[in-house]
Amino acid sequence: MWEEYSIGLLGVLLCGVIAFVALAIEKDDLHRLLLIDLVEIPSLGIVALLATDLAEALILPGLVVGIAELLALSQIYLVKEGLKEQPEGRLHIEVIEYADAPLILSLFLVVYGIILSGFTGGGVAGLGVVFYFMSRGYKEDLSLLEAAAGISWAIWIVSFFVFMFLPQYWLLAVFGAGGGILLKVIAKMSLVGTMWGRSHE
Amino acid sequence: MSSVGGTPLFLLEFGDIVMYFTPYTTSLFILALVFTCIVILSRPENQLDIIFGSDGYYTKETEVEELRFRRFMSIACGLACLGATVTGDVFDFTLFVSLVGITNVGIVAAVRSRHVQNAAFQYGIVALAGTVPLFGGAAIVAATNGTLSMIELSARTMSGVPLIAKALLTLGVMGEGMAPFYAAKAEMFRAPGAPYVIMCSLSSLLIFLRVVEVIITM
Amino acid sequence: MIISRISAFISDFENLMPLFAGACALLFIIGILMLPLPYEEKQLYPKQINRSSTLDPYDRGGSPFTRATIISQYPQNSPTAGYVTTYLTPLSWFLANTTQHLGTTIVAHPGGILDEILYNTRGLDTVVEPTILFIAFAIGSYLFRRG
Repeated sequence: MWEEYSIGLLGVLLCGVIAFVALAIEKDDLHRLLLIDLVEIPSLGIVALLATDLAEALILPGLVVGIAELLALSQIYLVKEGLKEQPEGRLHIEVIEYADAPLILSLFLVVYGIILSGFTGGGVAGLGVVFYFMSRGYKEDLSLLEAAAGISWAIWIVSFFVFMFLPQYWLLAVFGAGGGILLKVIAKMSLVGTMWGRSHE
Repeated sequence: MSSVGGTPLFLLEFGDIVMYFTPYTTSLFILALVFTCIVILSRPENQLDIIFGSDGYYTKETEVEELRFRRFMSIACGLACLGATVTGDVFDFTLFVSLVGITNVGIVAAVRSRHVQNAAFQYGIVALAGTVPLFGGAAIVAATNGTLSMIELSARTMSGVPLIAKALLTLGVMGEGMAPFYAAKAEMFRAPGAPYVIMCSLSSLLIFLRVVEVIITM
Repeated sequence: MIISRISAFISDFENLMPLFAGACALLFIIGILMLPLPYEEKQLYPKQINRSSTLDPYDRGGSPFTRATIISQYPQNSPTAGYVTTYLTPLSWFLANTTQHLGTTIVAHPGGILDEILYNTRGLDTVVEPTILFIAFAIGSYLFRRG
């Protein structure tokens, strides 16, 4: 009864065994952190073997959980090892720093992203914001972005409850979820793009 | 639906994910709710160390900011426990358990001490590794049964859930629920702000109790 | 005593990670020995592969203003599932009409069945998932700011 599913599972489980054995042997903390990322991949493989549209919808949360925990863990690693060195200064290019071109380009990206809406739009618009921050240097004013991230999260939750309890207003919920995820992805991308750079100066 | 936890008193439907309140899950839910309320209301004490053999003592200073952050994490942990105790979907259960894991990391990691930070890091790695068997187990359940709903799974006369999926789920929960080991080793129960650390132990206990029900029901 | 030796090993939390990883590896080996596992053919949200479609294999399906059929667990709980159809950005619309390679990227065309699962039928999963991201971000930024 060796169907395709079992053959695939055999391969994925073998990969998992290799990754876990490596993790068990490794002693260095940084290498453990890197190996953890490797170990995550077989778990996504097992989910992918489901081979339905559901699998795709389950991989996304799985992937996000891995990335999120890796983000928190790497920050804990920096604190625990006492690594505080900030990256060196950026290149100073007059055209990027003083001309209007970066502003126009990022404005275009943000507007296009808002038209696209949803996850893709969030990615495009977030890229625009990141580009602007990178070109203009960053001033510590992240509170607005953080507030936007929080509000978008709330919008999303509200649209979820509309979907669940007031299904007749589903269109509103779709727009809410689309707008919420747009804001969320923009905020997340621009935070990630700026937070780890130079700051506190 | 008949299960070890009794017949459901109430079903809360979120699309495909149906939360069920059997006497067993309801009691776990109430326990989590009570402890979340305690965490919200409790005021952490300042720790005093008495110098032995004299009247002298000194207090340990803890920043308000740190306690506020740890209280936030504890409340989040309580809410994650609420979800994990009643959800009726295998994959949703694993996600809630992962949420419990990461909030526990947060509770431990906020303490400003190299030793505790190290414990938080080591625990975080175990929690992250624990998601692998968790998601793997849930995916195998879905592939071999064509459903993730525990109500559907328990309604079947012949349990089609392979033993390996159950074992993977249990091992994953063990990984996420290891927080008390680290908290105890890092002497966190004596550290200032102890009420929040209790949430680590309680959440681990709750997810262990729930996974037993999940495994037997399937 | 063997017990005291075991407890001494476990008491060092640096050793718990190798222990857990070893247990996982062992369980995966047991999993390999328990193969083959039967695959249930009657799955939820089954996937159709249409090799001639330019969106293949990530064709999320549905044409605008019609309702797609979705095989969900509890259809009565999601009465409006199926109205959200896939949508293409202008650029991907152009690519879909000119090349056969658009389907090779997962992000090219959102909407359709994936949005129905993520937002509607299994919406709670998607609520928990950004919450995990949110918590992880809170931990990271808290530690970052404290310095």
